[in-house]
Amino acid sequence: MGLVHLRGGNLPSPKRRSWLLVPPFEEAVDEALGHGPDVLVIDMVELVLPEANAEAVKRLPGVVERALEADGVEVFLQVNVNQMAEELEAGIQLGVSGIVIPRLEWKAQVRQADAVLSRLEERQGISAGSLQVVASLDTALGNHRAMELIQTSPRVWGISPGRVDLVMDLRPGPDGEFHLLPFLMQRLIIAAGAAGVTPLGAWWRPPARGLMASPKDTYEAAIRGKALGFRGAFCILGEQAKALNRGFDGQGWEEGG
Amino acid sequence: MSSGMVRRSGLTMPVNNPRFVQKAWTRGCDFIILDLEDSVPPAEKAHARTLVREAIDMVAKGGAEVWVRINHHLVLEDLEASVWPGLKRINYPKAETAREIWLVDRIISRLEKERGIPSGHVEIGANVETALGVANALEIAAASPRITDFGGGGGYDMSRDLGVEMFVDFNQFVYGSGELELAARVAGLEVHSTPYMPNPSGSVSDGDHAFRVAEATRKLGFRMGGGLHPNVVEPQNRGLTPTAEEVEVARRVLEMYEKVSASGRAWAAVEGTVVDWYEARRARDLLEWAELCEGRDREKEETAARAMGADNG
Repeated sequence: MGLVHLRGGNLPSPKRRSWLLVPPFEEAVDEALGHGPDVLVIDMVELVLPEANAEAVKRLPGVVERALEADGVEVFLQVNVNQMAEELEAGIQLGVSGIVIPRLEWKAQVRQADAVLSRLEERQGISAGSLQVVASLDTALGNHRAMELIQTSPRVWGISPGRVDLVMDLRPGPDGEFHLLPFLMQRLIIAAGAAGVTPLGAWWRPPARGLMASPKDTYEAAIRGKALGFRGAFCILGEQAKALNRGFDGQGWEEGG
Repeated sequence: MSSGMVRRSGLTMPVNNPRFVQKAWTRGCDFIILDLEDSVPPAEKAHARTLVREAIDMVAKGGAEVWVRINHHLVLEDLEASVWPGLKRINYPKAETAREIWLVDRIISRLEKERGIPSGHVEIGANVETALGVANALEIAAASPRITDFGGGGGYDMSRDLGVEMFVDFNQFVYGSGELELAARVAGLEVHSTPYMPNPSGSVSDGDHAFRVAEATRKLGFRMGGGLHPNVVEPQNRGLTPTAEEVEVARRVLEMYEKVSASGRAWAAVEGTVVDWYEARRARDLLEWAELCEGRDREKEETAARAMGADNG
C-alpha cells in the first residue's frame, strides 16, 4: 500500500515560529517570557544534567504552572525518551499543548508516549487526543525511520532535527555548512510533507552550535530555513526568539530584534 | 562509531605491475589495495590472480594492512586467489544487494577455515558505486559483521552509473553519499566520508590537495583516506593525524568540562568556548585517535626497519 496523507496539511497551523528551550526553573521561565517566544519548551533533556533529573522532576509542576500563567505563549515539555512516564506525570497540566521527544527512534516509544498522554488527558479532563507530540529526530536511526515514526500516532504534529549537529556530531565542513545537515534537513522536510506534519527547524550554519547562535545568525538561519520548508524553529537563548519570529514572518532584520 | 583501526592513507595498485608492488611497502601507507578490478585488463586477470599471494607478503613489509579489490562479476575466482594469511580485507566493488555481500562472506568463511586464517579476520569493504546500491544502502551495510566501515557514494563508477560528469565544481553526489553515511551510522559502522572539495583538474597526485582534503576530513571527525599516487600518502597521514595543538586543546576542554559538571551545570561558556557533554565527547575521541595514530606510526616504523635490516642482511 502506498503512503497516504494522514493529516489536514492545508489546515491553518497555530503560530509557532519560535520554540524557546528553558531549563526547569521558575526564574528561567520568567526570564524567557520576556523574549516573546511563541512556544516555551520546558526542557528536561538538554539543559538538565542526568544526575540532577530527580530534583528537576520535583520542581516541574511548579515551573509548568508558572509558565501557564503567562498570556500569549504556548507551553510544551521536552522529556527524556527513557523516562517519559515520570516526567509527563509531573509536568502535564491543563493548558500544556504537548511534548517534544528528542532521540526518538522506535515506534514503541511513540506508542508509549501516546498511551501516557491518553491516560493523563483522561485523568485531568483534557480533550482526548489534544496533547501533541513533536518528534525530535536527532539520531541517525530516528532520521532513517522518520516516516514510520510520524505515522505511528496522529498526535505527532511536527518533526525537527533538534540539536542534530551535536547528537550526531556533525561538524563544520569546508563549504561553510554542517556536514550532512543539508541532506538531513531535506530528507526530514520531505518526510514531513509526505506525512502531513509540520517540519520545525532552521538552516543553521557555523558558528551556530546546538541551536545556539547570535540573534543575527539566528534570523538568517530562519530565513534560509523558511525557504527550505521549515515552519518554525527551536532555539536555546532568549534573544534568539524574536529573531526567529521575524525570520519566519519574512520581516527584515532589525538590530536588537 | 570508531573501528579503532588507523587507515589514514592507502594506495591502490594493479597487482600485475611489479614496479608498483615491489616499492609499495616503502611508501608509508596504513593500507595497500592490490587491485584485480579496474586497473587490470580483462585479458590479464587470470595471470594477475596468480600474483596475489606473493604480493600480499611483499607489500606488507612496511607494516601496511593488505587489502585486495576483487571484480564484482568474478567473485569466486578472485576470492580463491586472494584470501591468504596476511590479507586483512576484501573490497567488493559495485555492491548492490545484501545477498551479494552474504555470498562473499560465505566464501571468505570457507577459505579462512581451509587456509588457517582466524575466523572473521578478513573484512569486507562494500563499495557502493551504483544507484541500486544506494537504494539498498542499509541492507548492504548490515549484511555482514565483516563490514566495519561504510560510506562513499561518489567516484568514477557512480558518475558513470548516473550518467554525470566526474570532475565538476559542485558536489553531484549529495544524495547518495548522504544515504550511505546515514546507513553507516544506523548500522553502527565507522563512517567512511570525505568532504566535497572541488578538484576539477582530476589530479590524483596533488599532495597539497590531498592534504587539504585529509585535514578537512579529520576536522569533520572522520579518519579514513586512500588514493592512487604515492605523492598523497604522506599528506594523508599528516592531514588525518591530530596536531599537537589540537591534543592540547582537547585536554583543556576535558579539564574545563570536569569543572563545569562538578558545579551542577549542563554547559557553560568558558574562555569564549561552549563546554558541555558534547564537546567533552569530541575531546575524548580526539585524544583516543591521536594515541592510535602514534601507535600505528611506531608500529609501521618498526616493521619497515626490520624489513630493511632483513633486505640488507
